Amino acid sequence: MVPNARLLSQKRFFSTKTLHRNHLQWPIKQVTKSNFNDSLPEIKHHIANSHFIALSLQNTGSFSTPWHRLSAFDTPHTAYSKAKFAAERFQILQFAVCPFKIEARKVVAFPYNFHLFPRDELKLGMPSYSFTCQTSSLNSMAKEGFDFNACIYDGISYLSRAQESSAKVRMGNPIIVDHEKSSFAPIPVPTVADTVFVERIRSRVKHWKNACTDSSAKTDAAEALVISLRKLVLGSEQHGSRPCMTIDVCSERQVQLVLKMLEEFSDLVPLLIPAKSGGTQAVRVVLTSSEEDRDLLKRELQDLEVEQDKRVRGFREVIDLICASQKPVVSHNSLNDFAFIHSKFLAPLPPNVVEFMSSLRMAFPQVLDVNHLMTDIGPARTSMSANMSYLKNRFFAPIDMEIPHKATENESNIHGHNVVKICHLFGKLCSVLNLTPTSSRSSNHHLASAFDGYANIFNLSSDSCQEPTDEDIRVWTNNTRKVRCEDVAFLWGFRKRMSAGTLKTLLRGSNEVFAKEFDVRLVDRSCAMVVFWQPSLRETFVDIMNSEKISGALKEMVSEGLKATGYETYKRVCSSGLWELELADALDKALALPDSNLEDDYETNTSEIYWSNDLKINLDDL
Amino acid sequence: MKKRWPVASLARALTHSYCSSTTTTTPFPLKHVTKSNFDSALSSLRHHIRSADFVAVDLEMTGVTSAPWRDSFEFDRYDVHYLKVKDSAEKFAVVQFGVCPFRWDPLNRSFIAHPHNFFIFPRQEVSIDGPAYEFLCQTASMDFLAKYQFDFNACFHEGVSYLSREQEEEALRYMNSLYEDKSWDSWGDLKEARDMPLVNIADVLFTERMKHRLREWYDWLLRDRNGRSSFPGSSNDSEQQFQTIFYKMRPAISLNGFTSHQLKLIQLVVNKHFKDLVYLRVKGENSCSQHLVVYNESEDDKKLLMKEVKDEQLRETEMKIKAAIGFRHVIDCLSSEKKLIVGHNCFLDVAHIYGKFLGALPLTAEEFISSVNKYLPHIIDTKILLKCNDVLVQRMKKSGTSLFSAFSRLCQRIAIGSKSSHLLIQPSVKVEIEVDDNRSSDWNSGVRHEAGYDAFMTGCVFAQACSHLGIDFTLHSSSENLALNEKLQKYINLLYLSWSNGDIINLSSSNLSSLSSVSSSKLYRNTKILFSHIVLVWGFPSKLKAREIRECISKVFGSTSVTSVYHVDETAVFVQFKKEEMVPLFLELKESLESSNDAVSVLHPLSKLLKGGNTCAASYETYKEICSSPISKVLFADQAKAVGIKWKTKLVESKVEVETQENKSSHEEHSLNSGENTTIKKIDVRNDPSHSQVSSDEIDDDSFYSTQIKQIRTSL
Repeated sequence: MVPNARLLSQKRFFSTKTLHRNHLQWPIKQVTKSNFNDSLPEIKHHIANSHFIALSLQNTGSFSTPWHRLSAFDTPHTAYSKAKFAAERFQILQFAVCPFKIEARKVVAFPYNFHLFPRDELKLGMPSYSFTCQTSSLNSMAKEGFDFNACIYDGISYLSRAQESSAKVRMGNPIIVDHEKSSFAPIPVPTVADTVFVERIRSRVKHWKNACTDSSAKTDAAEALVISLRKLVLGSEQHGSRPCMTIDVCSERQVQLVLKMLEEFSDLVPLLIPAKSGGTQAVRVVLTSSEEDRDLLKRELQDLEVEQDKRVRGFREVIDLICASQKPVVSHNSLNDFAFIHSKFLAPLPPNVVEFMSSLRMAFPQVLDVNHLMTDIGPARTSMSANMSYLKNRFFAPIDMEIPHKATENESNIHGHNVVKICHLFGKLCSVLNLTPTSSRSSNHHLASAFDGYANIFNLSSDSCQEPTDEDIRVWTNNTRKVRCEDVAFLWGFRKRMSAGTLKTLLRGSNEVFAKEFDVRLVDRSCAMVVFWQPSLRETFVDIMNSEKISGALKEMVSEGLKATGYETYKRVCSSGLWELELADALDKALALPDSNLEDDYETNTSEIYWSNDLKINLDDL
Repeated sequence: MKKRWPVASLARALTHSYCSSTTTTTPFPLKHVTKSNFDSALSSLRHHIRSADFVAVDLEMTGVTSAPWRDSFEFDRYDVHYLKVKDSAEKFAVVQFGVCPFRWDPLNRSFIAHPHNFFIFPRQEVSIDGPAYEFLCQTASMDFLAKYQFDFNACFHEGVSYLSREQEEEALRYMNSLYEDKSWDSWGDLKEARDMPLVNIADVLFTERMKHRLREWYDWLLRDRNGRSSFPGSSNDSEQQFQTIFYKMRPAISLNGFTSHQLKLIQLVVNKHFKDLVYLRVKGENSCSQHLVVYNESEDDKKLLMKEVKDEQLRETEMKIKAAIGFRHVIDCLSSEKKLIVGHNCFLDVAHIYGKFLGALPLTAEEFISSVNKYLPHIIDTKILLKCNDVLVQRMKKSGTSLFSAFSRLCQRIAIGSKSSHLLIQPSVKVEIEVDDNRSSDWNSGVRHEAGYDAFMTGCVFAQACSHLGIDFTLHSSSENLALNEKLQKYINLLYLSWSNGDIINLSSSNLSSLSSVSSSKLYRNTKILFSHIVLVWGFPSKLKAREIRECISKVFGSTSVTSVYHVDETAVFVQFKKEEMVPLFLELKESLESSNDAVSVLHPLSKLLKGGNTCAASYETYKEICSSPISKVLFADQAKAVGIKWKTKLVESKVEVETQENKSSHEEHSLNSGENTTIKKIDVRNDPSHSQVSSDEIDDDSFYSTQIKQIRTSL
């Protein structure tokens, strides 16, 4: 179809709009479907020669409502549930990959920004039937001048590893039978029915083969007609240029029988045609003219498979390259990012964080989070720019960025800068922390040991570039305190838009449990958290709330609708996926669930959370 | 290989068969409307709508079904179908809205069409502390739009935003509650700084300095009230930071170039040490916030000032909310003008219009119908028109009723272009197109699946159809309302509920009827499905096919016991039994087999279906319940789990009980009967619309048994 005039004019409007935003000019290679295959060898080379690989994602959304955001009061389990919920709904539109080296006083980086779109290239309903977009996310991408047309028209598709294996079955491509392997299968004891079946097939194959080979010898027209008729009757087809026939089978046993029988014919190559629902639907027999022809056929089939695999994997090829390199991966928002990466490119996310970590570690042995590295030199900040200015103000770490790429003439190369910032920050951090790998020690092993203490710690602090929305929280988080989950209660059912301070004052006078030190903070507008700094008071409090002996001001508040529960209910909310818009509704629902299965009880007793904005989990502890 | 179940039918992809890009010369383009030209386009469109005889509309969405099993099936009862449409309208976004008013021009004896193509995008323009705006994209639909060169940049960058009436009310309510709230700190912009301990020495020093400087200014102000001498600023630097201005007739300092932390400290100083000064954050020009310290003469003056500030902010917010209504103005105009709205296969479109511009979609089809009718009193669906009217059915021959085939069949002159004056072209209604100041009767520059062009085509089809119905526009005067034309009455406000069943809902009387009652043509025959005879089975072993399930149940209940087996998706089937009493029997048998673990149950023919131990079964009502959930998992079995179904078998009460309930409810409800036993009632639409008491349910058993059902689809 001819691109219409409107589109062209749109492009124009688009470029004028983005002009004034090009303040940073790092040449970042933009990759779409059209130049993906050409870029692969190049990025492969850069990955092989790098020390680290930095990643940064741009998704269609982050969290729908304030309490869905990863927060300081999350345990690893609840944090993972939240990240999982987001990763399963939203989509990655840009995936920036930057292999980089750290040399004496500079970082040499090769940034790429891949535009992704989950197009169903194989018409199998994969990789994703649908995805959610947040208008605010799209809007901020629009403000950065993102070209949605380029992304949706020309984004690279992909399949996860798990999807790839099911796609192969469903595409129904013929599979070459590996004779070595099939001989291992137990040869079934033939029954009478089996013998009859095998005989029937054998004679069919013989007739067909004769019909095929005869045709060349005889030239008689009438004979030729008979032969071609016979071919037709016997179900002869063409596989490429070679004749073939298809034998329908009803069971795997019949497959075995057919294969065994076919071993008698040296010039026949059997191929298995998989059924859509798994298993084998038919055996296709291809007639080859000679030994060489036979090898040629096998090679052709293998090449075809490689080509097809490439098409199926799409962008995942890059993920596979990163995994295969076993290089440390540097990211800024690791739990969220890797939940996305796992669900889109590896396999569906496992139900709990322990399985997630072990599954992830198989693919990415070392994950470094710059936010975590930052905590070694000062208080953690969530935004990249805050981290950068903190470093700039306090430390002398003159690290230059060197990007040997040539800038593409493509106007949209303003995207993917975050990944370069991550490299830069990481380079500075390495210099400050004295972690810089010298080129003489470039072997992977040494490198790994230098970063051992930092690897695989997932920073749970929330989403990158947003400032805390509520001033109260920031005041709070200036002093980090550890809290045991047992000492935390959730309160809801109070008047909307009541401030934490007001609530605290109200509570203080309501009951003697609040005579001792306690703190209140709002989770969202419907729900607050109360922490009791005195052990066991929380339990007393929740008991009072649920007992008939309740009296005084607290009774008054309960009559007005106040409810309270322990931290375990919050855990249930997350593990059962009750992602209501307001936490109060979710907690009510969780309480209404049948009591029987509190699966995640095992961690309740031990876990501690932070009464602050900075919380991380070390997967080695799990 | 045939499909085993209808896969992800993009309604549009199916209805429009194939693209023959007969690109002729493009004299002028379609009128595209984005943020930048919305205001001017709106005022001219308002004018066109007012003088229009009818307005054709068309919508492009980001998707149609949120999961494959939410596609419409033959086995959808009307209430289930409504739930599916509701789910679709709630989850997906409208990205393009085509509006095309048609006006009869008696001088030229032709219609004049004004096609508008609006790009719309649900950008959040007013912040009320609710959840983030989200919408779903169906990958296949996005790809489909891309195939037709949909301009996503125009939509996401420049699309016109909107607020529904409900959202607007909510925003105003929120704003007013903030206003009425007495405590200052809940008003975001006036939030008072909390007392905060000055922890480091830098803060202490800064606070002291600020105190000193404010004192200086304050003293100067009091001393020099009449003197008019300028404030002796110590340096250029501080002059920039402290600018003396007048705010609402009061002297004030405008604070510039401080960090937010510093501003907070200043605020603390003002509150603590200066009774006559007020710290304010207000919206300055070009909408960036301005920090002020304002002098007040007295406590009363202070209150007055605060009130003034608050009122101003209230007005500003109100304006912002009004401005955010955006595209809804177009719909409101259609609604208030009570124009005849024409759409093609537009039930989903109407649901979108309702959900996006009026408010949350009601829970039941009945409520939906009655409130749609109040909002948009006259709607006509050209697809129903084409299927129901004998003359039109004949005209269409068998070419299908998709918009494009209808357009190319009925409006050949416009479709092909008048230049190629072909002998075969029948006399047709003339349509002239007017875009801005351009006018043409030979206009073919639209791109199909561009909402504005589709709306134009729909309108042309409608105009042509009207002339076939015998409506003579030349006799038609502009004062006459086309919506009240008696020749159209039979078809007005009928919407397709289900394509496969041919159920039609009448918006003006809330009557449900089947297509055959409107149309006398025998071409369209629909199959009756008895929902009380249906069992929903899911979670069975994944390789099991419909044929095998049928065999395995037939072994137990007899070879003719199963009327049909229909795949919902690969993890679930509907099994329709011949007799209703087999439903509880089957469910009981299933449960007893699962509870006992002896050899008999292992050898039982049903064990094939129950293998794996995850097979669940329930009656049709459970299907409705699952459809009503906001969750959408791709596979039905996963959906059932996510909805929170923990049981494996849901037994139904004995039949007698069901029937008594049935009778009761049919007496209570007048028009729509949602009972389990109800099939589609035959209601003659020609009846008086006020017709309310439906004569006792006529269950169409005969036609059901006589029709041969071919629901069993094997993969072969």
